[in-house]
Amino acid sequence: MSYTRRNFLKGALGASMVLPFGTAMPHLLTSSAMAAKKRDDRNTVLVVVQLSGGNDGLNTVVPYGDDEYARNRYSLRMPTKDLHKINSYIGFHPRMGAFMRLYKEGRLTIVRGVGSPYPDRSHENAMRVWHTADPDNLSRQRGWLGRAIDNEWAPTTTNAPAVFVGPISRPFALNAGNVIIPSVRSAGDLVASHAGGSAEFSGANADKSLLSFVRQCRASGYANSRRIEAAAKRAANTAKYPSFGLANHLRTVAQLIRADIGIRIFFVELGGGGIGGFDNHANQLGNHCAMLHQLSESTAAFVDDLNGDKLLDRVLLMTFSEFGRTVKENGRRGTNHGNAAPIFLAGGKLKGGLVGTHPSLTDLDNGALKHDIDFRRVYATVLDQWLGFESRLTLDKQYKPLNILNT
Amino acid sequence: MDSCFRRNDKYCFRNRNYMSSAILQKPLRIIVMAQQTSKRPVKATDPAWAWAAYKPSDSAPWNLARAGHLYRRAGFGANWGELQQALSDGPQRTIDKLLKPKIDPASFNRELDQYESSASVDGLRAWWLRRMIQTPHPLLEKMTLFWHSHFAADAAKVKSARLMQQNVQLLRSQALGSLRTMLEGIWCDPAMLLSAAADTNRKARPNENFAKSLFEVFTVGPGGYTERDVREASRAFTGWFVLRSRLRYIEREHDDGAKQIFGRQGKFKGDDVVRVVLEQPATAQRLVRKLYRFFISETEEPDARVLAAPAESFAKDYDIPKLVGTVLRSNLFFSPAAYRRRIKSPVEFSLGIIKGLEETVSTTQLAKDLSKLGQNLYHPPTIHGWSGGRHWLNSSTMAARSNLALALLQGSGPYGAKLNPWLITQKYGASTVESAARFLVELFLQADPEGVVYRTLLKSAQSPADAKPQDRLRRFAHSVTTVAEFNLA
Amino acid sequence: MLCNRKVHRSVAFERFVLVALLAVFGFERTFAALPPAAEWIPKNAVISLEVSNPKALLDMLTGKEATAAVTALPAYKSLMSSAQSQELLTMIGFIEGTLGTDWRTGLAKLTGGGITIAICPEEIFLLIIDAEDEVMLGSIHELFLNIARNDGRGEELASIEGVTAWTFNGKEAHTIIGKRFVLASSAEGLKKVLDLRDKGVGENLTSKASYQAARQAAGPDSAATAFADLSLLKYVPEFSALLEESGGNPLSALAFAGIVEALRESSWLGLGLDVEQSSLVLRASVDGKAGGSSSSAGFALPKKAGQGVLPNLSVPRRLAAISLHRDLHEFYAAKDDLFPERTSGLIFFENMMGIFFSGRDLTSEVLSQAKPEIRLVLAEQEYDAAIGTPQVKLPAFAIIFCLKDAEEFDIVAEEAWQKAVGLINFTRGQQAMPGLIIDRPTQGETRFTVAYFSAVDVEDKSKLEQRFNFRPSVAMPGDYLIFSSSDGLARDLVDALDREMKSSHEALAGTHSALEIDAEQVASILEANRMTLVRGNMVKKGRTQAESEAGIDLMITLIKLAKQLKLSAGTGKDLTQAKLELSLNF
Repeated sequence: MSYTRRNFLKGALGASMVLPFGTAMPHLLTSSAMAAKKRDDRNTVLVVVQLSGGNDGLNTVVPYGDDEYARNRYSLRMPTKDLHKINSYIGFHPRMGAFMRLYKEGRLTIVRGVGSPYPDRSHENAMRVWHTADPDNLSRQRGWLGRAIDNEWAPTTTNAPAVFVGPISRPFALNAGNVIIPSVRSAGDLVASHAGGSAEFSGANADKSLLSFVRQCRASGYANSRRIEAAAKRAANTAKYPSFGLANHLRTVAQLIRADIGIRIFFVELGGGGIGGFDNHANQLGNHCAMLHQLSESTAAFVDDLNGDKLLDRVLLMTFSEFGRTVKENGRRGTNHGNAAPIFLAGGKLKGGLVGTHPSLTDLDNGALKHDIDFRRVYATVLDQWLGFESRLTLDKQYKPLNILNT
Repeated sequence: MDSCFRRNDKYCFRNRNYMSSAILQKPLRIIVMAQQTSKRPVKATDPAWAWAAYKPSDSAPWNLARAGHLYRRAGFGANWGELQQALSDGPQRTIDKLLKPKIDPASFNRELDQYESSASVDGLRAWWLRRMIQTPHPLLEKMTLFWHSHFAADAAKVKSARLMQQNVQLLRSQALGSLRTMLEGIWCDPAMLLSAAADTNRKARPNENFAKSLFEVFTVGPGGYTERDVREASRAFTGWFVLRSRLRYIEREHDDGAKQIFGRQGKFKGDDVVRVVLEQPATAQRLVRKLYRFFISETEEPDARVLAAPAESFAKDYDIPKLVGTVLRSNLFFSPAAYRRRIKSPVEFSLGIIKGLEETVSTTQLAKDLSKLGQNLYHPPTIHGWSGGRHWLNSSTMAARSNLALALLQGSGPYGAKLNPWLITQKYGASTVESAARFLVELFLQADPEGVVYRTLLKSAQSPADAKPQDRLRRFAHSVTTVAEFNLA
Repeated sequence: MLCNRKVHRSVAFERFVLVALLAVFGFERTFAALPPAAEWIPKNAVISLEVSNPKALLDMLTGKEATAAVTALPAYKSLMSSAQSQELLTMIGFIEGTLGTDWRTGLAKLTGGGITIAICPEEIFLLIIDAEDEVMLGSIHELFLNIARNDGRGEELASIEGVTAWTFNGKEAHTIIGKRFVLASSAEGLKKVLDLRDKGVGENLTSKASYQAARQAAGPDSAATAFADLSLLKYVPEFSALLEESGGNPLSALAFAGIVEALRESSWLGLGLDVEQSSLVLRASVDGKAGGSSSSAGFALPKKAGQGVLPNLSVPRRLAAISLHRDLHEFYAAKDDLFPERTSGLIFFENMMGIFFSGRDLTSEVLSQAKPEIRLVLAEQEYDAAIGTPQVKLPAFAIIFCLKDAEEFDIVAEEAWQKAVGLINFTRGQQAMPGLIIDRPTQGETRFTVAYFSAVDVEDKSKLEQRFNFRPSVAMPGDYLIFSSSDGLARDLVDALDREMKSSHEALAGTHSALEIDAEQVASILEANRMTLVRGNMVKKGRTQAESEAGIDLMITLIKLAKQLKLSAGTGKDLTQAKLELSLNF
């Protein structure tokens, strides 16, 4: 597709059409940059990683120091010697060496025992809980990120503030009412094929008319396209990512962060979105291994990529899954749907370390770990303290933020 | 030659062969509307003037710009033949025909109903777009689309193509009918109930979801009702279920006790709730306000005084075509306060290109591409429908609009070479690339853009000089349909 | 057509056609017999194609039967009435006049000695044609050279290696030596060919061992043969990327096992094309084997001599059948290597298998029960009028396993299957959708299980929903285990297996995959769904109903020109071979 578009550009448009646009660009860039300053001087970025299917937190951050773990996990138990030990009680899954490195570097925080006060054991409902951030009203029309984005929208907004990167349909968390949020598979999907008709028009006066608004959107559409292309070229040679789907999507996110086109929220997914993924009811050992390895390696590659470009301080990555799993394994060498599980945060401005207490392995709710931290406290933290959005408007009340960020 | 636009000289354009005439041999500055926008219209706030029927005059002539405006709002854009016909018919006859076309659309619609009868939801999207392109009654489809955003049922929640088809058929049957009949159908429409999570209405646990949507979204709006109204109305809807994709009424689950809604008391059932809510002046006011935004302007909120008369009149009979007719015929509609004061929805944007070039393209592909632009038919984002206006646009959707226009026009790829600007310009008598380029600006923009934009545009048709005319015209058509002005309805 | 580059490409293509046509109608001087054309191809050729018997192919493709079949097509007439076609016909008429013969005879005489094409490194393209009729060759070359001269591009070049050379477009260079027409994509290329005339043995393609092996494997007597040097081709990034692409999708890894692996291991590819009555037979061989036990594709390879796929099963209304030799146990045990990235579907599959087989280990306790003989059958359905006919008529499909210990495993499979039906019913019930009803009918001596939707409360039985295409069934005749999407196909398969068990049937030794497609039946099911296809085509292409009907009907007619397509792949003593057989319906 892009090849034919390029042909179209080269063959049919010719250089003369590109030039006028080129001359118009500096003006447009400065004007949109100024507009951005006025609204919000932050340029922090949130990257949400959804782990679909319900990740088994106990085999991710393993409480090897607790005898109950070994007792309940007769076939799925991780050998203590293979764990990446965080302290005398817990350690990362053997295939999560990269997470261990990030943890040591202070770029990874583990928030333990996160869950919902109204746990739901069905995938659909539990995911809806996390997507709406409103367990009382699951038929809510918009997702939590969609509401946050709607709240930030202003009639002068010309940039798309959020994007979903992945091959599945866009998760409900991003369902907004006032903003069209693109779903892409690669950065190229956001690129306008060329500057046709951009015989524009230095007379784009900055009045408040509808026409002037459309001109600004159009100009930033083309300007952003060129920035994305330039950023993709810059990154192509240096960054090293493993050949996993998640890694590819995070590479795209890094390219778009580098392009600096005003996207504040990215959303990626691991596990396929629907059936399967982290939902290891049977033969969990090998499959879960593979999933955690992808998560750990892909995230680390992303962090390293941004760090190498001195962009990590602007970025916060947050994982979540609809629920954890039962403490006791089932008869099929797997685990069933549970409740509380850890959330991982990665980035350059984190305090690092552990947050919250580890849930008890004996004081259970119908076989599942009880939560210590309401997941909306994590949401409130990233909205208020990281993005600079007012979380109360999105979450309907003020949740107590976690003290996890270096300011 | 400027006089042609300014003066009431509609015959300027009647010559089928006009492209070869001298009219367009030198740059035009066609700015009737633009000129008027520079001065704030005094009359726009005068209700009597606003709703009086527009009569062409020297200061507001019936010209190509106004004909184009009418077709963009009351349809999905026009082709050259339709614009010319409108010029010769005059505004009243053109509007009459838009409201009630000479050819009865019933047989066309029956045929399309048949085509889409076994389609999936994706198929329904494609067939609807095809219907919009080919219909002899564009205003009917435009209004159906309006109601689809007003009574926004989401196929992802309904999970049945058949029920979605029924839902849109209901909207179409009353799109230019009676709001009362529409609401009487909506409250027991299975797709609507499923989409609003109101498919189970037990006597013991009345489901408030539908009643809340009915008041908050479909009728009186926020502030126009109380929690109690919702609670009581939801009792009136008890007994109704959607089971196995069918509407069912279970007598013993209906609460036949007395209810009090909006101060009225009675053993209300569903239709009674509709009757009571239509007695509320807020319902008509709200709908008139929404239609004002749809047909006239979304740049500023209209003065309540301006809306009072049509709202009062609408409240008497809820006759939709009467209201729409009043709006379309009005001075306000043809005034600068309305002209280019809306942002085209993705459907309007793409169909404007397609209808102008007089071909039917792959609507399967178009439906997919429109969803990238933010308008996924049968899947409105929330029960509030599409917000529209400025919400349609941001840098990424503008890039996507440019790419869609390119895909439609480039002559290869998923849309093939069905749209051929050069062929259309030839059909209407253009002989050179230059005259063809002028024609396309007339067709798509009615030569609205200011002089500098217009000149720069036309100049771009010159290059590259070595390309074939039809390739240059394809590229030029892309330029025309991606200028900011083309995104305004 | 929009962009310049494309325009150029199309001009270039027209030129190429011109050149090729010219090449076909070269001219001739009388000389002594020339050595085989392949001896004039440089040794470093990456790809070569030799049509040693063009007449056999021409007879089949332009013979009376084929012509009659094609000209009978309704689409042929409308195609021929187009302006472009008329232009072409005029040109052909002109050429026929010049040559004084009809184009079929002309073509046969001009190419009768054989056509050889080669691609060498540095983008050198070579074409050698041996004509039978020198006069004809002369006049046609004259004709095209004159056209090219008028175009301002054709000219005589400085002689190369003492031979007169010409060009049509300023780039390619060609010459005529005896009855042989030689064309190269550049003058340097032509010089390389002419050099080889004297250098003789050792420098040309025929002295290359891999070429000889490929020719041998392809069958030296074939109407046409082709050779590709894979060891050189692997330096082409696109090609190597294609080979490297690991099977991310478990099902495709399972289906195409052994083929990609073999290509990776190979240094050459040989193709041979033969005409056998009304069939075209293409044989492909490579020297690589999807290596022994260490290979990740080992599960697809027959382990012992004489092992291989079973013959495909025959049932009424069959659309296609596949017979595979796959050791599922071995396949699944290697999943960590085969797909390090777990797909969502795979994990869901394991979850479900865990339930259906009550926690039995999928690899060692379930999949190990199946012998490596797996067959699939796809067939058009017959619908019982009493039940009704779905609007969209989907084919029935079935998979047939052979069990190691049927006595023990039959009941396990039955339980698993009934659990699956139960789960489907439970889930559908939760969504207030109708469920399946289980029945236990018999076919011959085999009692089997079918689950079906009741259509009792459906009014219009002529347009049932899609779900009525499915009547999932499980049957276990003898050692076989049949999972079928319809009871009709299950019954037919019970009968087919019964016949097979009574007759002596042998595995096709060495073959690991065999596919058969029955074109007439494919045309039949397309016809049965004509209305659905037409409607889909209308919105997909933006066509009118009449246009879409013409398009769909043409497709159906074209499919009817073929009778059957057979494809098989396997390993011989040292080679991996594939055979494609297309029988035509002339």
